[in-house]
Amino acid sequence: MSIMNKTSTSKRRTLGYIGLSVLGACIGLLFLLPLWWTFVNSLRPGGDTFRFLNPLQWETFFTLTPSLDNYVELLSSDLGLATWNSIFVSTVTVIIGLAICSMAAFALAAIPFKGSGVVFIVVVVSFLIPFDAIAIPLADLFRDWNLQNTYTGLILPGLGNGMAIFLLRTFFLAIPKDLVEAGRLDGLGWWGIFRRIYLPLSVPSLIGAGLTLFLFQWQSYVWPLLNGTDAQHILGPIALSNLQGQFNVDYGVMFAGSIVLTVIPLAIIIGFQRYFIQSVTTTGLK
Amino acid sequence: MKRTTLAATSLLAAGAIFLAGCSTSAPNSVPAQGSDGSGTGTVNFLGPEDPATFAPVIKAFKAKNPDITINYSQIPFDQLNPTLQQRLGAKDETIDIYTVDQPRLSQLAAQGFLEDLSSLKDQTKAAVPDAQFSVNLYQDKLWALPVWNSTQLLFFNKTALDAAGVQYPSVDPSQRKTWEQIVSDAKAAQAAGTEFGLLLEQVEAYYQLQPLAESAGGGSGITGDDKLTVDVTNDGWKKAMKWYSDTFASGLSPRGVGGFQTSPLFTSGKVAYFVGGPWDVGNFSKTNINWGVAPMPYFEGGSKATPTGSWSWGINPASKNKAAAKKFLEFASLDPAGNLATTEASTIIPANSAATEQYLPKLEALGGDKAQGLAKLIAHENTETATPRPVTVGYIQFEEIMGKAFADIRNGSPVDERLKQAAQQITDALKQL
Amino acid sequence: MSTMAVAFAFLAPALISLVVLRIAPAAVALWESLFRESFLRGGTVFVGLENYADLFGNADFNNALLVTLVFSAIVNPLQIGVSFLLAVLYTRRAAGSKIWRSLVVLPIAVPPAVSAVVWSVIYRPDGLGNSFLAMLGLPEQSFLTSPQQSLASIMVLLSWIGVGYWMLFLIAGINDVPTELYEAASIDGASAWRKLWSVTFPLVRRPLAFVLVADTVSNFLIFAPVQILTKGGPSGSTNLLMYDIYTRAYTLGDLNKAQAEVIILVLLTLVVVAVQFRLLRSSDNA
Repeated sequence: MSIMNKTSTSKRRTLGYIGLSVLGACIGLLFLLPLWWTFVNSLRPGGDTFRFLNPLQWETFFTLTPSLDNYVELLSSDLGLATWNSIFVSTVTVIIGLAICSMAAFALAAIPFKGSGVVFIVVVVSFLIPFDAIAIPLADLFRDWNLQNTYTGLILPGLGNGMAIFLLRTFFLAIPKDLVEAGRLDGLGWWGIFRRIYLPLSVPSLIGAGLTLFLFQWQSYVWPLLNGTDAQHILGPIALSNLQGQFNVDYGVMFAGSIVLTVIPLAIIIGFQRYFIQSVTTTGLK
Repeated sequence: MKRTTLAATSLLAAGAIFLAGCSTSAPNSVPAQGSDGSGTGTVNFLGPEDPATFAPVIKAFKAKNPDITINYSQIPFDQLNPTLQQRLGAKDETIDIYTVDQPRLSQLAAQGFLEDLSSLKDQTKAAVPDAQFSVNLYQDKLWALPVWNSTQLLFFNKTALDAAGVQYPSVDPSQRKTWEQIVSDAKAAQAAGTEFGLLLEQVEAYYQLQPLAESAGGGSGITGDDKLTVDVTNDGWKKAMKWYSDTFASGLSPRGVGGFQTSPLFTSGKVAYFVGGPWDVGNFSKTNINWGVAPMPYFEGGSKATPTGSWSWGINPASKNKAAAKKFLEFASLDPAGNLATTEASTIIPANSAATEQYLPKLEALGGDKAQGLAKLIAHENTETATPRPVTVGYIQFEEIMGKAFADIRNGSPVDERLKQAAQQITDALKQL
Repeated sequence: MSTMAVAFAFLAPALISLVVLRIAPAAVALWESLFRESFLRGGTVFVGLENYADLFGNADFNNALLVTLVFSAIVNPLQIGVSFLLAVLYTRRAAGSKIWRSLVVLPIAVPPAVSAVVWSVIYRPDGLGNSFLAMLGLPEQSFLTSPQQSLASIMVLLSWIGVGYWMLFLIAGINDVPTELYEAASIDGASAWRKLWSVTFPLVRRPLAFVLVADTVSNFLIFAPVQILTKGGPSGSTNLLMYDIYTRAYTLGDLNKAQAEVIILVLLTLVVVAVQFRLLRSSDNA
């Protein structure tokens, strides 16, 4: 009897496995479709961009004559330098930003102190404030401090990220307090508890917060313009917009530039996927 | 607990207000501290164009003035205005000379963002067509020098017209077609297989549509001594907008295709008649389309009006190197060779009359056989039919609100009501001034 | 070291950065919203709350407010629901989950200007959207040119961009649930569906709360697709508050009223977020 049950449940499980795999694949591919179209068009001359839209044909999504001309043309623009600048600014922001945001989140989640409620409100309010709306007073402030056209000026606004702090606090709160007790018994101070208990257990949320910080900088567009980016400090999204002429746009080149700017965050996302694995909290308890 | 929370909150609030106070008492209240400078050194030039566009004029200038270096930076076109507003407002001295969208000149001048160039008035008047001179004047002073000009032309797809047996329109301005004729020819082309009959390049822009209203007798939309009274609900405007709305409602012209996605439609052969600028001559020549060019149409019984105007360049009053910047500006505008150099890497018409004379034949040659007679046509339009945009400090508000109205009318909003709504919105916006 | 001092040490860098670079400029905005300027007559004048009163009497602003509220009420449950379901899907045992979910996350890495252009091509009357519909035998839609469909079209675009991003945080949350709980539920004979409701859902509450608040806030600040695709139209049907602020500040040139509008937007967001916190806290206690 039990053997028969086992085969029927395992058959159901395999069906379930297949069903979920197919569903997952379909949804994933559906999401990819618009970007795939962009990629294919980056391999075609700009004039052909709108040719295969309607009716739907296989040429809409594939081309027999891919060419790297558009990418070659990017070399003569400042997209290369801009991409490096963007990588630099975003990386520094993530490193420093993660440090200060996780410290602040730790204080809010683990250290019982008076006024933590008020500070939390300040954190939440800070990310309610639309950055583009305060960009002007902020730009004036930075001009007074002589920070225009500097990497510092570009990096600073991205360091304190209310949403990242909020995110980290959320996950820090889930860490059981008995671990803290155990840590204290081992003689750890607050810094030790932070470094040796909280941080290792929060890898997925740290990655999430890092991604948030990264994306803020990677996509920032209004701020660098107001802060005064000269040719040396130009960032990716601006270089991309500069590719658009006033009277016409070469979509082939623009899409090529977009692919270049998307590949880097994509590599990061895929690279860090494996850290979103089964939590290690349980092993910690053991 | 409550008292500490209160203390913490007030401390934070006080800190914030203090910092806020610090920045509001910043040098914004101090007047521009620009200076002429030594007449040499580095001049910072800001604009929306690709650096390759200005490389020739910068090189030519350097050859004549080895002790001045021009440093150009590009700002994306759609961010140019907000960026200029913020940086010029903050008295940014890292901008010496910048490109001025001609219709926005009066607002920039009124805000104190342009240096008075009235000493060059006579020279400028002699060097450029009237429309190009008057557009740089505000309150009788000269604030910028014109560098580029523009006009609009009727391009047509010869293959599409052949299929319908329609005769090509002539390039001679005295044989200009009317919009009514073009619409009926376009419909014939559609019936013979071309997907769309007509398309305007900047399909929802005031620049493109102003001549429609002018030709229909409606005027520019702005009237009054102070140029702050809106008038877009008169018969001329209604007629022009009804015509415009009908072209979309009947399927003659496509909806949903944005400003810069229009020329690809023509180059892929899907449109019979296309109204575009001289820059399209270069673009179309690179494709396989069998195109021709003719004067832009007018309404039957109405006046002949074409869009005009483009970019001028002006000096930032906060600049510390005005003398050198002025030299560059005069070279790029008043010196025919200099002005010609600004158009070397781009198919746009120079503003300087002498430069234009040399330029137009080159443009015609670029288009080959297809563009025969183009030089004469453009020269004619520049002097006879060019209708500049109104000079008003409220131009930006006006253009923006009208742009939204055009978009809605294109998508089917009832014309009379939408124009009335726009008039109300513009009146409210101009009241602020 | 006293707890208070420790907390301060952890908090200081982030808190200072937030106050100086977010709160202070917002305070400037609040201050400036109480003035009015006229550059023709010169100078600024204190007008108290008149800017606010004028805004509420203005038809365009009221329309923007309504559009924003409707938008918020629909798009938030939609995106969070979909993200949650996708997170559940991609944490089941199935083939290639890691790849498919990377594809779903990918759109967030695309520069906003590019997403907008790609979707403008999808939504064109002769674009990919209609050609897909034609393939399925469905009638052509007007998408962005129709006042009825434009807001929904923008919602689809935004969901394509953001759903993967929120899904990541929920995946981290789901992975945090200890496996023993699932094992215990299996022993009790619970089905997969039941496990979802009684084990997964309650323990994912906190990350879900984070996603709810963060997504709500992000959606109140939406701006780029409107600026690039619809300019608030047709007929004001996509005139979200943030775009209205931008128009008011940069085209109408009325900076002071724009600042007032920013304050209104921030207060609105604050109220909604506060209500969400209240609701979540009471369900926690229940």
